[in-house]
Amino acid sequence: MNALTRAELLKLRSTRLLGWILAGTLAMVLVTIIASVPSTGSTNNVVSLDEPALLARIVGVSYLWPQLTVALLGVLTYTQEERYGTITSTFLVEPRRRWVLAAKGVALVLASAVIAVATLAVSLVASIALIRARHGNATVGAEFWQVVAAAFLVMALSGLIGVGVGALVRNQIIAVTLTLVWLTAGEHLLIEALPQVARWTPGGATFGLLQLGAVATTSGALLDAPIGGLLLVGYTTAAAALALVVAPRRDVL
Amino acid sequence: MTAAVELSGLTKSFGSVRAVDDVSAVIAAGQVTAFLGPNGAGKTTTLRMLLGLVVPTSGNATFGGRRYDELRDPVRHVGAVLEASGYHPGRTALDHLRVLSTAARLGRDAPMRVLAATGLAEDARRRVGEFSLGMRQRLGLAAAMLGDPAVLILDEPTNGLDPQGIRWLRGYVRQLANEGRTVLVSSHALSEVEQTADHVLVIAKGRLVRSSTLTALRAEASVGCRVRSPEPDRLSTLLDAAGHRYRHADGELAVDAASEQVGELAAAHGVVLHRLTETAGLEEAFFRLTEQSPLADQPASIEKGLA
Repeated sequence: MNALTRAELLKLRSTRLLGWILAGTLAMVLVTIIASVPSTGSTNNVVSLDEPALLARIVGVSYLWPQLTVALLGVLTYTQEERYGTITSTFLVEPRRRWVLAAKGVALVLASAVIAVATLAVSLVASIALIRARHGNATVGAEFWQVVAAAFLVMALSGLIGVGVGALVRNQIIAVTLTLVWLTAGEHLLIEALPQVARWTPGGATFGLLQLGAVATTSGALLDAPIGGLLLVGYTTAAAALALVVAPRRDVL
Repeated sequence: MTAAVELSGLTKSFGSVRAVDDVSAVIAAGQVTAFLGPNGAGKTTTLRMLLGLVVPTSGNATFGGRRYDELRDPVRHVGAVLEASGYHPGRTALDHLRVLSTAARLGRDAPMRVLAATGLAEDARRRVGEFSLGMRQRLGLAAAMLGDPAVLILDEPTNGLDPQGIRWLRGYVRQLANEGRTVLVSSHALSEVEQTADHVLVIAKGRLVRSSTLTALRAEASVGCRVRSPEPDRLSTLLDAAGHRYRHADGELAVDAASEQVGELAAAHGVVLHRLTETAGLEEAFFRLTEQSPLADQPASIEKGLA
């Protein structure tokens, strides 16, 4: 298992994909923070500069792009192997396919932790600098650390869901398109249109877990963080279980 | 004769299409066995079932009595080259092999060792996307040799190779066999494996229609030449000494050897020839076997010659 995980990590490191994804993600984190920190004197802010949990809210919302990145990375971890045919040599080295899937999952959890740390560093520095420049409240309180812990959990679970989706869909274009459309548009539209229903989706659970509140939806219909966390764990378990059942039975042609 | 690989009643259906139908065969250890058949005959599906990549509808395939997925550290027992496209184009050749050797818990020196053995050492740090098809085939062989396996399975390894690449591959396969390894190599053209194979398995329309030594196939197909000489006894002695099989037919000798070989042998020893003609080619015999053989319509596969 250790050897398989090391091999999966080497797969991630040995192409340029991870570097580009990380650079793009951190750039989007910066853009998100600049767009999210309230302007001085504005009356249209969903959070005010005086709010004690301002830093927690800003850092929480800054993880939405990295969450998408990790989910996509999870999808690509499996679908790229199908696309380039390397899945054949992967299964020749380790014919017990569940072990391969498990190793991909562990590798994605580790990769998500690295991206989460990088995001935290960029997010924290940029947020505090911008909030202070606008004379806001940049307090690092208990809620901030709860959001950071939740963000690490969201990242890990998103990576695992991505691996599951990739293993189930297999076709890279379809899997990536589905993931992108759902995470960038589908869930956001659903949350605005049907908040009571949408809060039970994976995205709704993520927003609840990150305690985004009014930053994510004006209706305030999000789940509490613990329930959101449990729901996201449930979705991850379901995706992983389905992949572990289906993938070993498929023919590799 | 020790069996390295056994196929037993191997069958695979895709919906209503039976791609492989009750194939049984024994692959002898330490020999090169050619797995021949036209495109779409079921070769690749059979090999993928053998390697646990495709789940058989019925039957099984084993290496020394164990299914592939039951082998401990399978790449140390079996190496396989199944396709030339199984690489991430953005990964270097060395990293491609490092990924595999890491997963297989092989030594750190294994990737460079096999790259050197396949003539790719200088290209180790080039991305595979920059490789020619021939270089990718070499890289595939390098990957197959990572675990120094006793059994090698090669699926159409000459596909897309230029003549120089084909010649290199033949030599490499022969070298592997000389080292005592078992090689199972599939091809749609008999001529590609004629110089390297000891045994042949012929598959057509999903059914095994022939399993025998290449020598036997050659003899039965009347491959070779017919020669008439006023000195038949001297010619017979020369053919015996050269190891060419022959039989008397209508005042001539039917020899299981190419006309060039017989003509040069006679000339070298001053034996007069009155007539020297080619008989049916081995490729033609193969074509007959796969396209027209009544065996192809029989329900069960035929296994003979290797036991």
